[in-house]
Amino acid sequence: MNETHAQSTSERRELIAFCIGEQEYCVDIMAVREIRGWSPATPLPQTPDYMRGVINLRGAVLPIMDLAARLGLPTSETTVRSVIIVIKVDERMVGLLVDAVSDILSITEDLIQATPDVACDRVRSFIRGLITMEGRMISEIAIERLLPELEALAA
Amino acid sequence: MDELEEIKATFFQECDELLGDLEAGLLQMEAGEGDSETVNAVFRAVHSVKGGAGAFGLDALVRYAHVFETLLDGVRSGSIEAAPELVRVLLRAADVLADEVQAARTNGRADEHETASMVAELEAWIAGEPLGAEPVVAPAAAKPAAPPAAADEDDFGFKPMAVLIPDVAPIDEAPAKAGWTVTFKPAASLYAKANEAGRLLRELGRLGPVEVELDDADLPPLDALKPEEAYLSWTVRLEPEVDEQAIRDAFEFVDGDCELTISREDGANEETDLAALLASLSAAPAPGPAPLEVEIAPLAPAPVAVAPVESAPIRAAAPAPAAGRAAVDHAPPQATIRVDPERIDRLIDLVGELVINQAMLAQRVVQHGFAPSSDIAMGLDELEQLTRGIQDSVMAIRAQPVKSVFQRMPRLAREVASQIGKQVRLVMEGEGTEVDKTVIERLSDPITHMLRNAIDHGLETPSERIAAGKPPEGVVRLAALHRGGRIVIEVEDDGRGINRQRVRQIAIDKGLLAADATLTDEEVDNLIFLPGFSTANAVSDISGRGVGMDVVRRSVQALGGRISISSRPGEGSTFTLSLPLTLAVLDGMVVDVAGHTLVVPLTSIIESLRPKPEDVRPLGPTGAVLAVRDSYVPLVDVGSVLGFRKSSVAPSEGVVLLVEHEDGGRAALVADVIQGQRQVVIKSLEANYRQVEGIAAATILGDGRVALILDVDAVVAMRRREPRAPEPTLHAAE
Repeated sequence: MNETHAQSTSERRELIAFCIGEQEYCVDIMAVREIRGWSPATPLPQTPDYMRGVINLRGAVLPIMDLAARLGLPTSETTVRSVIIVIKVDERMVGLLVDAVSDILSITEDLIQATPDVACDRVRSFIRGLITMEGRMISEIAIERLLPELEALAA
Repeated sequence: MDELEEIKATFFQECDELLGDLEAGLLQMEAGEGDSETVNAVFRAVHSVKGGAGAFGLDALVRYAHVFETLLDGVRSGSIEAAPELVRVLLRAADVLADEVQAARTNGRADEHETASMVAELEAWIAGEPLGAEPVVAPAAAKPAAPPAAADEDDFGFKPMAVLIPDVAPIDEAPAKAGWTVTFKPAASLYAKANEAGRLLRELGRLGPVEVELDDADLPPLDALKPEEAYLSWTVRLEPEVDEQAIRDAFEFVDGDCELTISREDGANEETDLAALLASLSAAPAPGPAPLEVEIAPLAPAPVAVAPVESAPIRAAAPAPAAGRAAVDHAPPQATIRVDPERIDRLIDLVGELVINQAMLAQRVVQHGFAPSSDIAMGLDELEQLTRGIQDSVMAIRAQPVKSVFQRMPRLAREVASQIGKQVRLVMEGEGTEVDKTVIERLSDPITHMLRNAIDHGLETPSERIAAGKPPEGVVRLAALHRGGRIVIEVEDDGRGINRQRVRQIAIDKGLLAADATLTDEEVDNLIFLPGFSTANAVSDISGRGVGMDVVRRSVQALGGRISISSRPGEGSTFTLSLPLTLAVLDGMVVDVAGHTLVVPLTSIIESLRPKPEDVRPLGPTGAVLAVRDSYVPLVDVGSVLGFRKSSVAPSEGVVLLVEHEDGGRAALVADVIQGQRQVVIKSLEANYRQVEGIAAATILGDGRVALILDVDAVVAMRRREPRAPEPTLHAAE
């Protein structure tokens, strides 16, 4: 969420970390509505390959985005450990399909480093920054950038 | 939204209702059906708008409403006669009030010129000298005028009182010395709501002789006085015959904004009902209709507030005091609660989920081998009944009478008619017909179009009507009714009917129809719905831009509705619009296509059939048509159009749904298997995602999975350009 940018560096915020393949990513916990197990999605015609389709979330139709495909990573088969992280961005709900939830982090803003140049453009545009913790590198997803793409496609 | 804004929003919602009541009341008066209670209701509506506007500091609205209210108060008190021409002015004044409210709501400005001229007109009526511009008939102008602003300043007007008991036996047991003491201390909020103490005191003055004492003990020295505070209080003594309810009624609008005590001066506060009724009778002012006066004269002390003698004839002409205040105090308002629609939508979602869950549970119980007669299965049956009951009740919460749409129409009819110089009387029926709120919102546009069309094209000008032997005033009937699980709206005019010769010629001239086509009368009538068709001789800004009826038909069809017209030459035409009762559920055919479950809206399906191989004929490189009873219909393979499979299957191996699409053409959709018909709850894809071409919406099936609802028109259109645009890969390529 955008307001997190305005927070002072000393304020702590919490992030939910998850795995995609060998890599670790995270999102701000304030954007997460719930985490649920994988259930088969109904595919939508005429949609990009990273859209897995839609599922029934207690009566609402929830689109599922395969985050691996969105980031250009190889997609893996869904397993019993696969989870859907339901996030809310600007009144819209979307489910992010990831391999597994790994951790809950509590960090201050100054722990976040800028994304280095080496990464490709697509990855850089979806990554807010990098967090180093206990020798692991965790990238924070800029969730607000995942979704506007949907609107651009609809136009 | 801060708190004040929220209250303000509620105020404007109330304004909508009040304006509706106002118009309804005035229309009743126009039809000659209004009684004194109608006049009171009309007055109350304007007064309440003014009061609320005062509380929010909407000065322009208060100023206008005040003038309007003053005139209505004159009508209420009988000092101004509710002549038909005045009622027409009041109707227009109500329109201007609606504009002012709208302006206040949007922080905009109403048409100042219009308001100013309306104010001038109203003030002229208050002064008893209607403006010359009005087509005023003699009596109103000639009546003895009350002095300007008399209605407000010197308001001892006629008040309807109980005369329900025909033979009143003389009773003189009312204690001679008893009397009412009313202490009244306004709070600052009373003034803030644009009420004034003086008016209330005058109101009491109408009930009989009063003694008023002002208590200014709380009044601070001038330098400490806050102009918006309230310091004064009054003690009013009234005659014992005055009905307590009448006193309370006088303070009806300021309830909660003042300290009020009403007590009897002596111990005799128990009277029989009859005596109370008599007391209220006696409070009726003397210049009432003569018979009444004679009857009550022996009982009643002459009211002190005797009106000027000249105005007596007018009062006699006022509505007869058919019913008393005590007896018919206006019907109790229907108890309602305001609920945020989102909460209801949420409830509907949850109940839908409950129904699905219940179905899943039932399925599992069967899978686990419980017999239908087992306790568990029977308990589940009961649960099913209950959930269906809940679902119906929840849907009923969202059902609303079409009145909210209908009540905007009289104004539209007036405006359209005066713009094009026609006379029209709008008759409305079935305003109480209920339909889901999702449909209500979509009714307004088509009804507006149909009504404009009926007045603009359907009705003749007054002179043409007279020549045709009809009354100069045309009648347009707007009716709503339930029929076969749908809501039907009819707009019927008594005009000239459709000129079939001309319609046919225009259709041929515009290339919409082959010159040698044979059509039934009904088919000719419905040519007006063809895109690009317009019969108006001159393009007016009312209708006839050539985008009229075909746009209406398309938007109606998009909602699963139908619209048609039938006409009787010389006698008039009838538009008939039918829509499903709710847009939240849809009757659909559930089909399987390439392993996907799809729902096809039943409204677009003409029939389903299993084609024989010899009925399928290839046409061109990839296309094929199906022979259906001597005509050829293009075949559309839904699976390949939506990208579910690469190559089409042979139609003879699956089933074919014969559908009608928006421009009236037909197509044959190929699917694998028909699962059956089902009513499904419509879920938006756009809420969380976006529109998907070929898909109208989504729904949730009994097993909890999402199924897509097919957009038949879009799929047929996609089929046409399929060969040159491999759509799916384009999208996936980002």
